[in-house]
Amino acid sequence: MNESDTATQPGNAPWTCPFCPLLCDTFGVDIGTPGTPLTLTGSDCPRARNGLANFDAAASAGQPRVDGRDCDLDTALAAAASLLAASRQPLFGGLGTDVAGARALYALACETGAICDPAQGKALMHGLRALQDRGGFSTTLAEVRTRADLIVCMTEEPTAHYPEVFHRCGAGEREDLAIETLPLHGDLFDTVSLLAALVAGRVRGDDDRVPAELAALSVRLKAARYAVLVYESSRLPAQGALIIEAIQRIVGTLNRSTRAASLPLGGGDGASTVNQVFAWLSGLPLRSRAGPLGLEHEPLCFDAERLLADRGADTLLWVSSYGPEPAPPVTDVPRIVLSHPAMRLPQGVAEGVFIPVSTPGIGSGGHLFRTDGSVMMPLRPLYDDGLPSVGDVVRRLVHAVKAQKKGRVQ
Amino acid sequence: MTATLRLRGGRVIDPANGRDEVRDLYVRDGRMVELAPHEAATEEIDIAGCIVMAGGIDMHTHIGGGKVNLARMLLPEDHRANANPVALPDNVLELASCGTCTPGTLATGYRYVEMGYTAAFEPAMMACNARHTHMEMGDTPILDHGAYVMLGNDELFLRMLAERWDFERIRDYAGWTINASKAMGVKVVNPGGISAFKFNQRKLDVDENHVHWQVTPRQVVHTLARALRELGVPHPLHIHGSNLGVAGNIQSTLDTIAALDGLPGHLTHIQFHAYGTEGPKKFSSAALQLAEVVNANKNVSIDVGQIMFGQTVTASGDTMRQHAQSGLADPRKWIGADIECEAGCGVVPFRYREQSYVNALQWVIGLEIFLLVDDPWRVVLTTDHPNGGPFTSYPHLIRLLMDRSFREEQLAKLHPEVAAQAALRSITRELSLYEIAIMTRAGPARLLGLQGRGHLGAGAAADIAVYRENADREAMFATPEYVFKDGVLVSRAGRVTAAPVGGTHFVAPDYDRGIEQRLRRHLAAQGSVNFDHIAIGHDELCQCCNGGRLLPAACFQGASS
Repeated sequence: MNESDTATQPGNAPWTCPFCPLLCDTFGVDIGTPGTPLTLTGSDCPRARNGLANFDAAASAGQPRVDGRDCDLDTALAAAASLLAASRQPLFGGLGTDVAGARALYALACETGAICDPAQGKALMHGLRALQDRGGFSTTLAEVRTRADLIVCMTEEPTAHYPEVFHRCGAGEREDLAIETLPLHGDLFDTVSLLAALVAGRVRGDDDRVPAELAALSVRLKAARYAVLVYESSRLPAQGALIIEAIQRIVGTLNRSTRAASLPLGGGDGASTVNQVFAWLSGLPLRSRAGPLGLEHEPLCFDAERLLADRGADTLLWVSSYGPEPAPPVTDVPRIVLSHPAMRLPQGVAEGVFIPVSTPGIGSGGHLFRTDGSVMMPLRPLYDDGLPSVGDVVRRLVHAVKAQKKGRVQ
Repeated sequence: MTATLRLRGGRVIDPANGRDEVRDLYVRDGRMVELAPHEAATEEIDIAGCIVMAGGIDMHTHIGGGKVNLARMLLPEDHRANANPVALPDNVLELASCGTCTPGTLATGYRYVEMGYTAAFEPAMMACNARHTHMEMGDTPILDHGAYVMLGNDELFLRMLAERWDFERIRDYAGWTINASKAMGVKVVNPGGISAFKFNQRKLDVDENHVHWQVTPRQVVHTLARALRELGVPHPLHIHGSNLGVAGNIQSTLDTIAALDGLPGHLTHIQFHAYGTEGPKKFSSAALQLAEVVNANKNVSIDVGQIMFGQTVTASGDTMRQHAQSGLADPRKWIGADIECEAGCGVVPFRYREQSYVNALQWVIGLEIFLLVDDPWRVVLTTDHPNGGPFTSYPHLIRLLMDRSFREEQLAKLHPEVAAQAALRSITRELSLYEIAIMTRAGPARLLGLQGRGHLGAGAAADIAVYRENADREAMFATPEYVFKDGVLVSRAGRVTAAPVGGTHFVAPDYDRGIEQRLRRHLAAQGSVNFDHIAIGHDELCQCCNGGRLLPAACFQGASS
C-alpha cells in the first residue's frame, strides 16, 4: 500500500519548480557540492535556472537582524511583535509564501487588523474583479494538452514570462494544434472588443472597419473544436478586468456552439495561493482586512502601493520566501521582512526587522496552486536549509503579538 | 482518577441502538462509557427536559475544495451585510469568517457545531484537487470530515470501459484513486456527461452513447458500483444522476437505479432528479413514482437536496448541466471549468422564489420525497448545501417535516397553482424525533460505515448534541444547549466554547499495485502532473488537515475475496 511518505524526504521524489506558477515537475536539479549554486537539468527554462542560482545546497548562514545588527530569532520576533502590536494599520505585502505560510498569516492579520496585498496585487485584482463581476470559463493544463486545437495568446507571446507554457500545452506533441497571437489593432481594449463582436456576429468580417487578420482569427475560433484563450494578467493595463471580461465573452459565445475556454497565466510567487487560502478561511479574498467595522474587502482601496504612498499604513510586513526578489518597496514606515537570506534591502531607511526564512520547494516542503487554480502541487525539499518557514515564524509572531497586547492592557 | 462526565436525566434518542428513553450518559476520555457499579462521575450536568442525540452528520455538503472557493470568490456580496462589512466575532475563540451560502471554512465549522453537527462530508473532491479539498476541510474547525472522490468522467476510466479492459484493472484503478486522494468513497456526477461536454455533447441519457468514447452512463454507473462492492468500500457509489434539473428526468433516475442491478447505490440530491412532464407547464412532481421505486429497492439510499427559498449558489461538478442552466444565474454571472481530463465544475448563483412555479414545486417535491419514502434509514436530510440552500436552514427543514400545520402555512405562501394542487397537501405524516435522529446521524453513519459515530452506545465517540425540548422544532434544533465533540464541550447555547481541529475519515481499500505502471504511462502521455506527485501519504494528509486525527474506516471483505 501507498503509505510511506518517503516523498517528503529530500531527494526521494521528482522536484516541483516553485519559481513560476506552471509548477513544472519533470525537471531535475544537480545539487553538486555545498556552496556551489544549484543547476537545472532536463530543461533550459531560464526562470527555473535563475531561481535555482540563488541557492547552494548548504545550510543557510543567514541571521535575523534588528536595525542592521545580527541577533537571535527570539530577539527579532520580539522586535517584530512590538512593531505590530503598536501599529494602528499594518500592511502585509509581498506574500511570497505557501499554504502553510498563508494559514499563519491569516491568523496574524486577524490579530493585528492588517491589510494584505501580494506583490503582484494589481494583476491578481484584474482577474478577481472580472470574476466577481461576470465569472468566467477556464481550463487546465492537462485539458489543453489533450484537447486544444487552437491556442490564441491574447496578451502577446507568453514564453517571455512563462518559458515552458507551450511545452506544457502540448506544442509539438500533436499536429492538429495551432498557436497564434492576437494581432493588435488599436489598443488591447479595442482589439478584444472587436474580436468579441466578430465572434458574436455583431460585426461582419467583411466590414471595412475590420482588419482582415482579425476577421480571419474569428473564423478560426468559431471553427475550432476546442479553442483556448491564454492571457497574462500582469500584462494588462489599468482597468484590465474589462479586457478579461471581453475575453470571457468570446469564450461564452463560442461555448454556445463549439467548445472553448480561457487559461489565465499568473498568480506566481505565492499570490494566488495566499488569495485562495484567505478566501477559504474568511470567505473573502485578498485586499481585505479584519478591521474595526468588520471584514472588509476593498479591491481598489487596499492597494499596498497606494496605501504606502498615502500613509494609509504605518507598518509593513514583507514576505518573499522564493528568492531575494521582490524586495519591499522603498518606504519610511517601520518594516519587518521575512525573506530569502540574500535579500538586498533598499538603502537609506531604517532596516527594521529582518528574518531569513526557508524557501518552499528548495529548503523545505510546501504546497502551491498552479496557474490554472484547480491543481495544488506538493513542493519537495532538495535539502534542509536549516531556516524556519514563514509559517513557523508567523505562528510565533501571533503568540508574541497577543502576549504584548495583553501586557499593554494590564 | 480519570474525569468522568455524567449527563443526567435527558431523553436519549439513539436509533442505532434502538433506544429512546430517559437515562444518564457517561463520557470519559472522549468516548461514551458504561459506569461500573463502584464508579462515580467526577462532573455532572443536569439535562432533564432535554433531548439527547449523537452529533449530527451531514453526508453531503459542499464545504471545501476548488468549486466551493470559486463560489466564495464569485460572491463577495455573500460576505457583507448589504453595503456594510460583516461584524467581527465577539468570541475570542473564533477567527473572523463570514458568508451564508458560501461561508469561509472557519464560519462553516462554527455554525455547524452551534447547530449540533459534529461531522460533515464533502461529496465532490477531484483527485487533482484532493490536497486543496483536504486543506479546506482541515481548516473547518471542530467538525470531523471526509470526501468522496469523483470518478466516471475521467478520460482514463472512460477509455478503460471503451477499450473493454478487464474489470479487475478498472477496480484497481478505483482503489488506487481512493487511496491516492484519501477519500471516504466515490462519487459519480452526470456519469460520462462532464467528459461528453468537453467533446461538445450537450445531453446524455442513461442509455445514450458518449459521443467520443461510445460508452453509456449505465455502463459507468454499474462498473463503479461493482468496483466499490468488490473493494469493500462501505459507502455505496454516491450518484449524482444524469439530466439534473431537466423536466422528465425521473426516467433517467429510474434507469440509473436499474443500472445498479441490485448493487448498493446512494442517489444524492434526489429532489433535483424527480421531475415529471405533466401539467400545464410540463413540469411536475415525480416524488410518488420515485418513492415507490426506492421503497422497493433496498439496495438504494438517497439524500434529498431540499431547496429553501432565498439566495444561494449552486456549485457542481456537472459542467454540462450548469452550462445549460447558466442563463438562470441570479445574480447574472457564473463560473465554469474543464478540469484535468478528469472532471469539471460549474458555479451558478441562484435565488429560489416562492412565487416561481418551478421553485415552489421543487420545494414540494423534496418534502414529498422525505414523507413518502418508508424507511428513514435510507433517507438522509440534506439541502445539498449550498445548492438547495445553506446548511443553516436545517432547523427550518426539520420543522417542516415534523409539523404539518407549519408545513401547510408555508405551502399556502407559494405559487398559487402549486399551493392548490400539490399532493403534499394530502400527506399527513409528521416525522418523529426518532426518525429525525435517524436521518441526521444514525442513518448517515451507517451509510458511511462509521462504526463509532452516529450513536451513543458504549465505545462510541462522545459526539453529543443536547437540545432543550421545545414544541417549535426549528428553535429547538437551531440552538442546542450543549454540544460535545470527542467529549469536549464545543458549544454552549449557540456559542462556541472550544475549537479543536477535527479528524479526517478515509478508507484504504486493497488493490493490485500492478495498475500503477499503466497509470504512470497514462499520466506521462496525457496528464500534467508527475505520477509520483499524485498520491497523498499519511504525513502529508495530516499536514493538509491541519494536524487533525486520521480516522481510517474499515473496509468490509469484498465480494471478490
